[in-house]
Order: sequence, then structure tokens, then C-alpha cells
Amino acid sequence: MFETCVEIRRHFSDYLDDRCERESLRSIRFHLNYCASCREELEQLQAIQAELQALPRHRVPPELALSMRVHVSQRVHRNLLRQLWVRCENALQPLLIPASGGVLTAIIFFGLLMGWQVAPASNIPDVPLQIVTPPRVRELAPINFNDGDQAVVVLGQIDAAGRVVGYRVLSGPVTPELTRSLDRTIYFSLFYPATMFGRPTDGQVVLCLRRITVRG
Amino acid sequence: MGVALEQALPAASHEATLIAELRAGSEEAFAYLLAVYQNPVFNLVAHIVEQGTDAADVLQEVFVKVFRSIRHFHGESTLKTWIYRIAIHEASNHRRSWLRRRLREAFSLDEDAAVSEMALAKSPQQPETPYQALEQAERQELVQRALASLAQPYRTVVVLREMEGLAYEEIAQVLGVSEGTVKSRLLRGRELLKRKLGSCMRR
Repeated sequence: MFETCVEIRRHFSDYLDDRCERESLRSIRFHLNYCASCREELEQLQAIQAELQALPRHRVPPELALSMRVHVSQRVHRNLLRQLWVRCENALQPLLIPASGGVLTAIIFFGLLMGWQVAPASNIPDVPLQIVTPPRVRELAPINFNDGDQAVVVLGQIDAAGRVVGYRVLSGPVTPELTRSLDRTIYFSLFYPATMFGRPTDGQVVLCLRRITVRG
Repeated sequence: MGVALEQALPAASHEATLIAELRAGSEEAFAYLLAVYQNPVFNLVAHIVEQGTDAADVLQEVFVKVFRSIRHFHGESTLKTWIYRIAIHEASNHRRSWLRRRLREAFSLDEDAAVSEMALAKSPQQPETPYQALEQAERQELVQRALASLAQPYRTVVVLREMEGLAYEEIAQVLGVSEGTVKSRLLRGRELLKRKLGSCMRR
């Protein structure tokens, strides 16, 4: 049970929010029945409460709502690496065209400079650069000996001019008649001389001679 | 007001799903969160910060913080209470820095105009005549001024209770104080408002 108006008014806030206990509620109502001052006080508080509840709310303007959504989304998804990349991109983009032009010009200039500096290729056919090459047959004179199917192996000595200096029979029958035939064949044949470092020199060639008869 | 807001707010069963989606980084969930909470939070922040135009900046900070910290929200309170707590923390920080700045800077005559330019929703009770409309507008202006003149702890409790419709327990959670403190601040806030508005509220 409340005694005074001061005590009663201390519970008005709870009364407005409907948070009074049954006993307190009964005391307040009883007091309000005979106390006009407290009744007026409560009415004022109720009026203020109603005014506060009826106050227009601050609302987010539509354009702010959209910009805020974008801003918050950007802030939330801010990636430092991505941000750094974009900044680098923005900084380098203005330099991209001048830099590309510079590199291209340098390549063209270098190409032209090298084309002018380098000696032109020779039109003369290359000589084989093997260290030593053996003599080779250029044109073989007709073979007049007939020794059946047996071949005659001859070691010929060729000088730097491609001429036969001498020869020696390595295998096969050595007869006066064969020797004459071999002389005619070998001394009338033409040879390419042996070479050493591209220059003609003396050399030896091994020939295997056999007469082939075609019957028709 | 409370009814309309309660209808818009997600039910407890949906709240868990919403939180899970927010944790997964869902843009849709974030858009939904913004759609539901941006207006009540904006209203709350606008009543705390001294300069109304700063409310937009604070609002952005609040939702950035909400989205970033959602992983650390373990459901000790409701999502609404948690968001309000962040909003009050951000708005109070902003208000403190604004007051420090204001001490150093000159007073601007444009500030009141800036506050009045903020978007306000229409009052639910529409007046019938132009005279009533004028009277209501004047009364609301007086109430707004009286509310703005309250010290911040009282103003915050009054706004949370009367405008946002939070229960004492929720206000205590939002402000991180006891229910007794909420009760005494609300009592004191109402008394101060009555003292300021007493003469014009007399019927």
C-alpha cells in the first residue's frame, strides 16, 4: 500500500508499461480515484507516451538505401590483394601504350641495325669441309680383259690433279695380258683427287674390276 | 508501430537460417537484413547522433560491422538485440567524436536545417483538417526537441522503449546494463519529458 503521491508517482512508469504487480496496481488505482493531481500527472505521461509512439520515424531515403547497400557490399568484400591489383592496373594502364610502342620501335630498330651490320651470305657453293676425302672415280675407261667371274682388286695412286700415278694389283691373277688391259683401263680413267681440309692432295683408291657381259 | 515492425522482423525459426546464410556470405541474406533492419536502426541512430546527417554514415558502419562480425555472433541474444547493440555503440562513438570536434570548431547555422531535411515517415495518425495537421506538426516538433534535449542515456532508453517497442529485458541486453537501471532511466527520462512538455500536453 502506497502512502503518498510521491511514492505513487514513482510507479507511474511501470504502470504505463503494464509492469506493475497486482498489489501495486490496485493501490495506484485506488489512489487515482481520489487524487486529481496524480491523475493529471498520469494523463500527461500517457499523452507524452502517445506522442512519442506517434512520432514519425526517420526512414532511410531510397537513394541512400541503394548507395549504402553498394558501399557496405564493397566494404565487406574488400580484398587487399584485389585492391592492390586494381591500383597497379590503374597506374600502369596509362603507360601501357607508350611502353608497347617503345618496345616495338626498339625491336624494329634492332632488326634493321642487325640486317645492316651482318655480312650478306656468299653465293659460292660450299666445299665439303671434311678433313680428308678419298679420291673418287670420275670416268672409268672400258674394261677389255676377260677373266671369267673373278674380280680384280687394284690399289690406284692418284695425284692432286686427279691423274693415276701408278697402281698395284691386290688380288686376282696377274698375267701379262691382264696387266696390259689394266694399264689401258686405269691410265685412261679420270679421277677426282683426294682432298685435305678442302684442298686437293695425293691419295689412294681401291678399285674392284670385273667385266660384265650381257648376252642378247 | 511495434506491430508493423514485429511483422517485418524474421521469426526465431527463420533467424537461425538467416544467420547461417549471413555467415556463408550470402548477398541475398544481407539484402534481406538491410531491408528489415535499416529503417529501425536508422531511426535509433538518428536520435542518438547529434547531427542528423551523420546518421547515414553511422548506419553504413553499423551494417559493415554486422556483416563482418556475424561469425562471432553465437545467439546469446536475438539478432535484433545484437544489431541494436552495435548501432548504439557506433552511434555513441560517433557522437563522442562529434562533440570533441564541435568543441574545436565554430557553430554552424545550417545544422538545424540539415536535421529537418532528413526523411521522416508519415505519422500513423493522419489529421483530418489543415488546422489539426498544423497543430500535430507543432506538437511533434516540440516532442522531437524535448526528446533531443534529453541526456543521451535517457534518450536512448526512451527511444528504444517508446519508438522501437523493446521490452525492458531487451533494452538491458542492448545497453549492457541491468533491468533496474533501464527502469530508473526510463522513469527519469519520462519525468524530464513531462517537465519540458508539461504545459503543452495539458488537456
